[in-house]
Amino acid sequence: MTSNNLLKQSSPNVVFEWLQGQFKFIVPPVLALGSLLFIWQLLCGGETPPLPPPTKVVTEAWKFIVDPFFDNGGTDKGLGRHIFESLKRVGIGYSGSVVIGISLGILIGTNVLMYRAFDPIFQVLRTVPPLAWLPISSAVFESFKESEVLRMLGTDAVELSAVFVIFITSVWPVLMNTAVGVQQVPQDYRNVAKVLRLSRFEYFTKILVPSAAPYIFTGLRIAIGLSWLAIVAAEMLKGGVGIGFFIWDSYNSGKYSEMIVALFYVGIVGLLLDKVVFYISKFLVQTDS
Amino acid sequence: MTYDSCALQNELPFLEIDHVDRIFPTKEGDYIAVEDVDLKVNKGEFVTLIGHSGCGKSTLLNIIAGLDRATNGGIILEGKEVKSPGPDRMMVFQNHSLLPWLTVKQNIALAVNRVFKHKSKKERNQIVEEHIDLVSLRPAADKFPREISGGMKQRVGIARALSIRPKLLLLDEPFGALDALTRGRLQEQLMKICEDHALSVVMITHDVDEALLLSDRIVMLTNGPSAHIGQILDVDLPRPRHRMEIVNNPSYYRMRGELIEFLNRQKKDKVQKAKRNVEAVVSRGKIEKVNLNIGFIPLTDCAPLVIAQEKGLFAKYGLEVTLSREKSWGAIADGVREGRLDAAQMVTGMPLAITLGMEKKEPVAIVTSLTLSRNGNAITIAKSVWDAGVRDLVSLKTYIQAQDHRPTFGMVHPASMHNLLLRHWLANAGIDSQTEVDVVVIPPAQMVSNLISSNIIGFSVGEPWNSRSVHEGLGYIIATDLDIWNGHPEKVLGVRADWAKEYPNTHLALTKALLEACAYCQPEQNREEILGIICQPAYLNAQSIYVRCGFNSPYRKGSGENLYLKDFNIFLGDNSPNRSEHLWVMAQMARWNLIPFPSNYDQILDRMLDPKTYIRASEDLNLPVAPVSLAPIVLADGEIFDPSAPMAGLPNSTEIREFVGDRQLV
Repeated sequence: MTSNNLLKQSSPNVVFEWLQGQFKFIVPPVLALGSLLFIWQLLCGGETPPLPPPTKVVTEAWKFIVDPFFDNGGTDKGLGRHIFESLKRVGIGYSGSVVIGISLGILIGTNVLMYRAFDPIFQVLRTVPPLAWLPISSAVFESFKESEVLRMLGTDAVELSAVFVIFITSVWPVLMNTAVGVQQVPQDYRNVAKVLRLSRFEYFTKILVPSAAPYIFTGLRIAIGLSWLAIVAAEMLKGGVGIGFFIWDSYNSGKYSEMIVALFYVGIVGLLLDKVVFYISKFLVQTDS
Repeated sequence: MTYDSCALQNELPFLEIDHVDRIFPTKEGDYIAVEDVDLKVNKGEFVTLIGHSGCGKSTLLNIIAGLDRATNGGIILEGKEVKSPGPDRMMVFQNHSLLPWLTVKQNIALAVNRVFKHKSKKERNQIVEEHIDLVSLRPAADKFPREISGGMKQRVGIARALSIRPKLLLLDEPFGALDALTRGRLQEQLMKICEDHALSVVMITHDVDEALLLSDRIVMLTNGPSAHIGQILDVDLPRPRHRMEIVNNPSYYRMRGELIEFLNRQKKDKVQKAKRNVEAVVSRGKIEKVNLNIGFIPLTDCAPLVIAQEKGLFAKYGLEVTLSREKSWGAIADGVREGRLDAAQMVTGMPLAITLGMEKKEPVAIVTSLTLSRNGNAITIAKSVWDAGVRDLVSLKTYIQAQDHRPTFGMVHPASMHNLLLRHWLANAGIDSQTEVDVVVIPPAQMVSNLISSNIIGFSVGEPWNSRSVHEGLGYIIATDLDIWNGHPEKVLGVRADWAKEYPNTHLALTKALLEACAYCQPEQNREEILGIICQPAYLNAQSIYVRCGFNSPYRKGSGENLYLKDFNIFLGDNSPNRSEHLWVMAQMARWNLIPFPSNYDQILDRMLDPKTYIRASEDLNLPVAPVSLAPIVLADGEIFDPSAPMAGLPNSTEIREFVGDRQLV
């Protein structure tokens, strides 16, 4: 009897109800997207539009939409492969900002003199846009073009300058947030440490870092967004594989439909990266509330 | 009883807060947060600091913890000066301060691992587990702080503090943020832990009931800036205590009243201080201070003060008086001590009590120039006691001895004639008022309600409270003070000695106005009019039927016996500050262990009594001047008090000591 009832209850009826519940979350964005596409279609529906309308994008770039992972050699690859290459670069640059940003942040956060000395400089540097770093970075790494060390590392000056742009764009939020987080260790926790006479090392590992963790992760989340933003700038000059280069290349060769599809990919990957860092922080950070 | 602690002074106290000042430099100059706080805490004692927020109590606790340093003075724990924080003075913080990234167990372990480094991992684990169980948090051991309730968090804080076996536990409003139910449970838990482990504790709170429940001593801090110890209350409620039970203890509401009174006064003072700065002392002709604030207690014998006000006698002598109706005699004493009141109607022993620093208070020299009234008290017993056959002292003794617990009597102030006469009267029947009965302080207005709730079996108080209980069938008057000492001084005028010195003409004017009022109050034909005046809401706020008896009508004892007592209220007669009488009071206060008997009593009385002002006032008013005499006093039981040998006939155990306590005396 009971199992029958249960069966009845978990019948399509339940699924339908769930769908009904989700309805109000699905319908509005779908409608919004639809109307945006419609407006776009209207705007770009003329004889010689500046951009192709959605219908044309889909037909022209169909190959890129249905198969992200094809590889015809050279730079003629699916968007998935381009993105994968870009992610590798972002991964390296971002790791650099995490390591350097957190350590420098702790240093200037715990030392008032250092903080006073460097904070104004960092405040200026952090507002410099990624694209502006590119010439400097290129100029600097150009001089290492013939370097043996780079060759041994299996990389080259252009590659390195791209990674550097990603790094330099994303390091500031990590650094600044870490510094603030370290400064904001609540007096209560410091009192606990004082009363228990914790050693410097214990204070660092048991109080300071965990207490600054929420701030650090806020920095990391902003940084992952920024480093992904920087990818297009970073790959602008770099030939070969990568979503940033792909966009520039498509533009240069007038393949606007492919360019537009690539933009969607960039957006979705950026969103996913942000979510990944968010869930990691949610898993690691314990706050009071 | 009140000076035992002096004997311990030679021993090293457990914790000594030695004349601590804390001054914060600000742009507008130094801000003195805490000034000259001096306190000793014994081992195993639970001391509470109470005061309004911003009174520097947290600063003080932080200084004890070592988290802050005193500007002057210091903290000495077991003979060693405290210079930095350490686990021997573990703190339970106001907002629990658990580390949110550690579980309950890990939070406790952090402290244990740090403090007991030398112990094996197994031992340390055991300590952690033990303390989790101690505060009954087993089910939450592996939860993070944000997953548990506020009460549980505070329990973790307590467990963490206890786990490292501190010498001294510091609690900073530990239960402030909790709901009443949780707070009550935690208080009982804390009390049990403290008793089991004989912990020494200093706690901060602003919850009066919490302080009374937990503490051995309550230290009341005045409002900042320059916060200092205003008063110390010994909480002698028996342990173990239970929150539901202690409220039935007759002293509970007296102590609670004292605390609340103190806190309210601090609030009032703040307002008045601001006001005082604005309106400087107005002087008029020879009168140095015109605006006076005079305290009184709503009793029948406040009549001279009320009449002086209502009949314009204060104004006649150039004074503008505000009569301040006070809740208890303790409030009167503190009001005068602290300068909130310029003068007050006092019970006879109060000038002595304040001058000698009774009840561990700072001695402040008081001067009395006038006796305001004589007689007017009675001893009432509850109806139940009357029904049990008690009619006189002998049957009362039989009744008391038949009880399986000590019966309690109420009186209004330790230094009052109510107390001294009650004890003397009991002693006549061989009832030892220190061992066979409890005699507790209850403000006059609360006597009847305490009688109703059977907290006390009887009381000694002034009118209208005896007549009221008779009128309502709640009690019977077993004796009036005429049966004990007919003509005893009952209320006197008291001012601070420095005040009298600074404003001699004001003092004379005040004495004159009150003496003239006394003269008005005495004749029978004025009494009906006076009755109407004193019963007004601003004064007694009582129905005249309660006040009438004894005042201008036959006195009803409840037994159907109506007495015409002509002398039940005497306002004019010997109004001098009588030396023999005050000496009797001093000897009796020593007899009942309220003060050590001062060997330099003559010198003290010289300073305290001001017959000159009385004589000038009498002469100016053309009233007969009572002779200054040292005649022996004859009590109703035939006992004779010889002022030349004040301590004769008192038990030898009574301590005699040279009194040097008061700067203003020396």
